[in-house]
Amino acid sequence: MFFHIVLERNMQLHPRHFGRNLRENLVSKLMKDVEGTCSGRHGFVVAITGIENIGKGLIRDGTGFVTFPVKYQCVVFRPFKGEILEAAVTMVNKMGFFAEAGPVQIFVSNHLIPDDMEFQSGDMPNYTTSDGSVKIQKDSEVRLKIIGTRVDATEIFCIGTIKDDFLGVINDPTTA
Amino acid sequence: MSFVTDSPIHSSSSDDFAALLDAELEVGSSGSSPDEQDDEDEEADVDANNNDDDDDDNDDDLDSRRNKRCRTEKLEDLEEPEGSTSQGLIEEKIEVSLKEDICTHPGSFGQMCILCGQRLDDESGVTFGYIHKGLRLGNDEIIRLRSTDMKNLLRHKKLYLVLDLDHTLLNSTQLMHLTPEEEYLKGQSDSLHDVSKGSLFMLDFMHMMTKLRPFVHAFLKEASEMFEMYIYTMGDRPYALEMAKLLDPKREYFSGRVISRDDGTQKHQKGLDVVLGQESAVVILDDTENAWMKHKDNLILMERYHFFALSCHQFGYNCKSLSQLKNDESESDGALASVLKVLRQIHHIFFDELDSNLASRDVRQVLKTVRKEVLKGCKIVFSRVFPTKFQADSHLLWKMAEHLGASCSTETDSSVTHVVSTDSGTEKSRWAVKEKKLLVHPRWIEAANFLWQKQPEENFPVSQAKNQ
Repeated sequence: MFFHIVLERNMQLHPRHFGRNLRENLVSKLMKDVEGTCSGRHGFVVAITGIENIGKGLIRDGTGFVTFPVKYQCVVFRPFKGEILEAAVTMVNKMGFFAEAGPVQIFVSNHLIPDDMEFQSGDMPNYTTSDGSVKIQKDSEVRLKIIGTRVDATEIFCIGTIKDDFLGVINDPTTA
Repeated sequence: MSFVTDSPIHSSSSDDFAALLDAELEVGSSGSSPDEQDDEDEEADVDANNNDDDDDDNDDDLDSRRNKRCRTEKLEDLEEPEGSTSQGLIEEKIEVSLKEDICTHPGSFGQMCILCGQRLDDESGVTFGYIHKGLRLGNDEIIRLRSTDMKNLLRHKKLYLVLDLDHTLLNSTQLMHLTPEEEYLKGQSDSLHDVSKGSLFMLDFMHMMTKLRPFVHAFLKEASEMFEMYIYTMGDRPYALEMAKLLDPKREYFSGRVISRDDGTQKHQKGLDVVLGQESAVVILDDTENAWMKHKDNLILMERYHFFALSCHQFGYNCKSLSQLKNDESESDGALASVLKVLRQIHHIFFDELDSNLASRDVRQVLKTVRKEVLKGCKIVFSRVFPTKFQADSHLLWKMAEHLGASCSTETDSSVTHVVSTDSGTEKSRWAVKEKKLLVHPRWIEAANFLWQKQPEENFPVSQAKNQ
């Protein structure tokens, strides 16, 4: 799920960036440092939308660096257990399939794929129903439910299922 | 609850529950309850093991739609006991609670159970990092996957083939180790844009040059029709993936099955524990026997491919390498071509000639049998091959000859067919010449081992050893 929240961060700036462009330098450094990172609490920071407030800078003892407390608004993405997501399938193998929803890596094990879908190996490994009507292969879009999440410094891992109602393939890349 | 009584299919709740319990306990669909026949379409929802789906398709849709309606209306009443909820919901609740109670945690992804999502910190099972980062499977799950995959593969008439990279399919060298005589190679390297025709590649970004063994493209193409192939190398993962790109640019032979030393469970040893295939159906092609201590029976030893000078030096050979001699292994007659013939033979025997049922066949037995045909009928005596006071029958060459089907002895007699010697002046050597027995150099046995065929004895003459 996406959230638009306010976060705070202490940014350290080297004196060479001082001058007329101090604020721009601070903001671009903030963007470089924060966009694309993950945290357990907030999830994945997708983009910074605005700066709310930049506090007074404090010069650190011993070095010339100055620390500014910056409050900024950003869009974050964090999956939750029980959430329904759409994801694109990236890899299919006999253990299940891996899908991606933005920066989130989701694994759906074959235990959580409906039993009428069987794994077919070959050039394009896929899971297909016995009558061939539904197929999950690389680049298919699926709707899945998250049953577990874990966040580390740069990535979010999730376990998903498609064994419930209304879950499964949304869009077959071979048709349409 | 009004909708339960409204629904014509669902009879009294106790009958539903009995039917549900029966199905869950897998007693069987016929005859267990008089209501079963009427409630046939209920079973379509109940148990996935039930194969009546074809009959029940129409009823299935109707019923599942009804169940879905029931479920959406029932969201608040999840805590209600079975008596007042619809049958579909009971089934789901019991299934869910069964799952949570007895989740076997078949594996983990990012340290979460792939079945229930629970956080798992135990270290049992095997990591399959080469398939996807963070994937780990428990031992039971690996066994289950191996047997289902085996059935699948046998249906397609394929076995598993694990291929080593260095000195087996290719030879790599670092650019800084190229000798002056090899500098000409830099101008002869093939384009990296279309690797399917090339064999010599310069990989500047890795500071190395790689030469693919002659015949490798044809070998891979033909072997892929009989085997599901894996790469297993003692190089690191980036190296392994780069080599896989050279050998298999379309990702049709190996797809994700590239195992590097980062994926092995033991240091300096290769093992079949990270290969998702039954050991009885795996054939290994490698130039190093010691890397496969636990799986020697599955191994076909390959003659090492030394193209670059560095490779020769590393193995202690003082001769010039193929690149220095501006020469190369024969394409149609080299190691890969011969081993392909052997693989075809093994595949043919496994699928077409073995009598026992498919699941109990063992490719290791086939390997043993084929090997024993190579030197069948030969009786060998060794002379000046083993150090004195060495236990003769534990020597490498003795054992090699026995595996190839020959019988070995320490004493000469009339049944001996070959005398293997390094010196034509020894007593046994002279006896061989006198008795018109075949006198050969030990390399005759090694050649038979690598080429899987008895070689002409006249190609391995023995010379008089020079005295000090």
